[in-house]
Amino acid sequence: MSGSAFNRRTFVKGAGAGAAALVVGVPAFIPRLGEAADALKIGVLEPYTGTYAFPGENETIGIQMAVDAWNKKGGVLGRQIEIIKEDEQSKPDVAAQKARKLVNQDKCVALIGTVSSGSSLSVQKASSDMGILFFASGGHTDDVTGKNCTWNTFRTCHSTWMEAHATAYTLAKKFGKRFYFITPDYAYGHALQTAFDDVIKQIGGTTAGTDLTPLGTTDFSSYLTKVTPAKPDVLVVLVQGDDYTNCMKQADSFGLLKKFPVGGPQVELEPLYGLAPEARTGVWGIEWSYSSDTCLGKGNKAAHQFVSDYYAHYLNTQKKPPTARQCFGYVSMDRMLAGMAAAKTTDSVKVARAIEGEKFQSIFADGGYYRKEDHQLMWPMWVAEIRPNGTPKDPNDLFNVVAKHDPDSIEQSVAEKAKICKMTYPS
Amino acid sequence: MLEHVGPQLFNGLVLGAFYAIVAIGLSLIMNLTGTINMAHGSFMTLAGYLAFTMIARGTNFWFAFLVAPLLAVLVAIIVERTLIRPLYGRDPVYSLLLTFGLSLIAEEVFHLVWGANTLPFTPPAVLSGTLALGFMNFPVYRLFIVLVLVLAFAALALFLYYTRFGLRLRAAVQDSEMIAALGTNTQMLYTINFGLGILLAGIAGVLAVGLLGLNMTTGNTLLMPAFVTVIIGGMGSLYGSLVAGVLIGIATSLMTLYVPAASEVIMYILMAVVLTIRPRGLFGEEGLFG
Amino acid sequence: MNSGRIVALAAIVLLALEPTLAPYIRVDVTIVSAALLFAIAAMSANLLLGYTGLPPFGNAAFFGLGAYGCALSIKYLHVHFFTATVFGMLAALLGALVIAPFLVRRRGIYFGLLSIAFGQVFYFIAYRFTDVTGGEDGMAVTRPYLAVPSFTFKETAFYYLSLAVFVLSVLAFKAIVQSPFGRTLVAIRQNELRVRYLGLDSNRFVFVAILISALFAGLSGALSAMLYGFIAPLTSLDWHQSGDFVLATILGGSGTIWGPLIGSIIYVIGRDLISSITPYWQIFLGALFVACVLGFPRGILGTILARFGTAPLSNEPEEANWTQSPAIAADHHG
Repeated sequence: MSGSAFNRRTFVKGAGAGAAALVVGVPAFIPRLGEAADALKIGVLEPYTGTYAFPGENETIGIQMAVDAWNKKGGVLGRQIEIIKEDEQSKPDVAAQKARKLVNQDKCVALIGTVSSGSSLSVQKASSDMGILFFASGGHTDDVTGKNCTWNTFRTCHSTWMEAHATAYTLAKKFGKRFYFITPDYAYGHALQTAFDDVIKQIGGTTAGTDLTPLGTTDFSSYLTKVTPAKPDVLVVLVQGDDYTNCMKQADSFGLLKKFPVGGPQVELEPLYGLAPEARTGVWGIEWSYSSDTCLGKGNKAAHQFVSDYYAHYLNTQKKPPTARQCFGYVSMDRMLAGMAAAKTTDSVKVARAIEGEKFQSIFADGGYYRKEDHQLMWPMWVAEIRPNGTPKDPNDLFNVVAKHDPDSIEQSVAEKAKICKMTYPS
Repeated sequence: MLEHVGPQLFNGLVLGAFYAIVAIGLSLIMNLTGTINMAHGSFMTLAGYLAFTMIARGTNFWFAFLVAPLLAVLVAIIVERTLIRPLYGRDPVYSLLLTFGLSLIAEEVFHLVWGANTLPFTPPAVLSGTLALGFMNFPVYRLFIVLVLVLAFAALALFLYYTRFGLRLRAAVQDSEMIAALGTNTQMLYTINFGLGILLAGIAGVLAVGLLGLNMTTGNTLLMPAFVTVIIGGMGSLYGSLVAGVLIGIATSLMTLYVPAASEVIMYILMAVVLTIRPRGLFGEEGLFG
Repeated sequence: MNSGRIVALAAIVLLALEPTLAPYIRVDVTIVSAALLFAIAAMSANLLLGYTGLPPFGNAAFFGLGAYGCALSIKYLHVHFFTATVFGMLAALLGALVIAPFLVRRRGIYFGLLSIAFGQVFYFIAYRFTDVTGGEDGMAVTRPYLAVPSFTFKETAFYYLSLAVFVLSVLAFKAIVQSPFGRTLVAIRQNELRVRYLGLDSNRFVFVAILISALFAGLSGALSAMLYGFIAPLTSLDWHQSGDFVLATILGGSGTIWGPLIGSIIYVIGRDLISSITPYWQIFLGALFVACVLGFPRGILGTILARFGTAPLSNEPEEANWTQSPAIAADHHG
């Protein structure tokens, strides 16, 4: 018995030594695969592990598609573009350290990415300290273009203010003015709640109840049982991601989805695919849809080309159609490269000045522009009813788009923003 | 306010029942060998994924519900024999770190095999819908969870107290060396004990994915509450885990009425109180773990 | 011992040359700074685990208190660098003073779980008070000046500062564990009952050990906050962070002085390198945990020292031998 134990220990020791060596020694000497000497390097910071891995992977696909499109046209400034990906793990300190690594060690000229608000803010700070361009493609917190705004950061996805204002009016018109909120009890949730309260004041609505669900709540039953006695006109769900899936699943099990209309400021395809069709219902804000002309723009060749390119290259592996996350990634990278081409340089200050305020057409309807004052992308936001089983042709096509809102009608005005965001360029 | 308390108590009962199933499995493993199984959540998730795959391939829910935990037990037995056995007798810190490492590996394996997206999992029609209970409409699925817990606990009690094997298991918890001296194959006892704990985890896992979304991080969220339940109930006492689970479930639910912000942290506060005043827990045995 | 000193000196020289070597070995200064600061926190865990024999799963709480103490003092009081660091350490110390009285009365796994419980409470507090701490979004930390207004830290300068602080910490740690106080801690780990019979109040020693551990962890937290420029509850206060410190300690060699540094370098830099190569890096990390516990329970340094017969008493992984008779076992531990 002891003989075999020693043999195994020696083996494991050897394996352990090997693992340690692998961990430290070898990777240091492997150059980045496929490194071309003159490539223009852009750093991509997304979560590839943890709860936001799925949106992170989807954003990366969009980014890669933009890079491929530009490289086919000859690259930017005569150089091919190469992306270097880092897993920021939805952890702000890791995000900051990887950001520094991408710039200082890998010599990236710009950064792009992030999904969680904490990481967006963290990379914004790190990139601002380094004076490097950063496109926050997927972090929604208002502060990125609000009190934390910086000259080097541009934000593509809609802000929480925009999300709330795009949907609140539609919900009130469709269902009534008495709202019941299930709100996540952290910064993002509070921001959404404040924005909703703003609309409620304007339309003279009432709040039947607000449940602030603390961090870590996986079981929403305690909150859901309070909804029926409160008799709201509509149940507004502000939780996101996995919490959204859990909440909706449980709401369905309590029979709430049949009793009350449900809606909210934002829903993404990713969590919806995690729900059984019975729980897929309601009226929600959406940031893009691959199938609707209201989102893509009638006759918008670039948009339809984007969707068919995705189907050609990615449908086999992903098995799902493109989501808003691919859109964020694509638009961010596309505009960053366009800015560099227009400014004829990769110098962050010059590129930032070239991008801000410039109107452009892209893979969504009406075109948009990154506002000069806060660098928020001003583009439409849409409202959709959920089709639980999609369409007969496409069971994944869950969004039935019912409304489109212009950005100026849903975002805070320049004057209001000026009170919060003070942006200065380096002299 | 009183009409709110009733539903919350009921909610809490069900939530607590669920914590209890997970905690009892954890406790079984800890009591006998001192192994702190940080991979317990991973085994739960594994059973959930296996059940999902089986159902996707055409088997019905009940078959999957029975078989998936057994498959998880198979994996557990291999893990116990190769990786956990060498740690018996050592400081529990080592088993904690090793099983934590296993949980990291498991998460990425799930990512590789089943992808990063949440998978839709619906309980069968007979378990869906609500039961009108007068003061509230209650999901049938949650009542099913309580039923399963009661059955599982009864089965476990029968096993431990009315079979010879159960007798040996209980004796081994008291004094491993003595029972080894009396001729019992203690190594096999440990393996079976571990398998039993994971069987409960597997059952809890399949139940969990009816309540929560199924993805690679599902099991991890339930791990800490399970540990807290074991501590409060008392290590060495399965009955304690049951009572503590229900206690925590009710405390959490009632907190959402009065101080919602504290509802998720109340269990840690309770644990701190118990550990300070009576570290062996409500029903635990003195001397276990020092 | 001389060969040990030479190796230690060589290590420090190598670290001092890191900024020049960085482009060649593709490990830039930021990550090595992170590893050095991590090593300070690992040392704090080592003091409790390796020397006193207590599982320090609440040290992330002290680390986080250090980080938030520093960050909040910069935000509201606009202090300079050293003052911010001191504020961080004070915050950690205060936290320790609050929870240590509860912790000292427990040993073993109860100690560990109680410290996790308190840590989680701090975590929720940081999460809840969004206006002050930024809540889930975390808060930005601006690196303050070093009492010389025009000198803000660039990465390399911060690296040398981290290195200097690390060297000072190691010297302090060495002094502590080699003092009579430190030796008493080891004695407590080996046989607390005997220490008590000798007339010493072991609880008081444990209490002080917790405070010292908190100071080290707080120092690490404060400097890390300024290194990353951003802190959030999940990474500063959550108990998984404590587990990382414990792993680095065991990996390098708990109960040794330089073990935490070796473990931290492997863990922090290794994790960074592998996560850059593959999104499935957690498999390698998990495998490292498993291989370390099964093959290297004494840690890398501990195993090397054991080979030469100079492993400190505090490094033994306390294996119980199931084939020994109870009498022999009692004799071994008696």
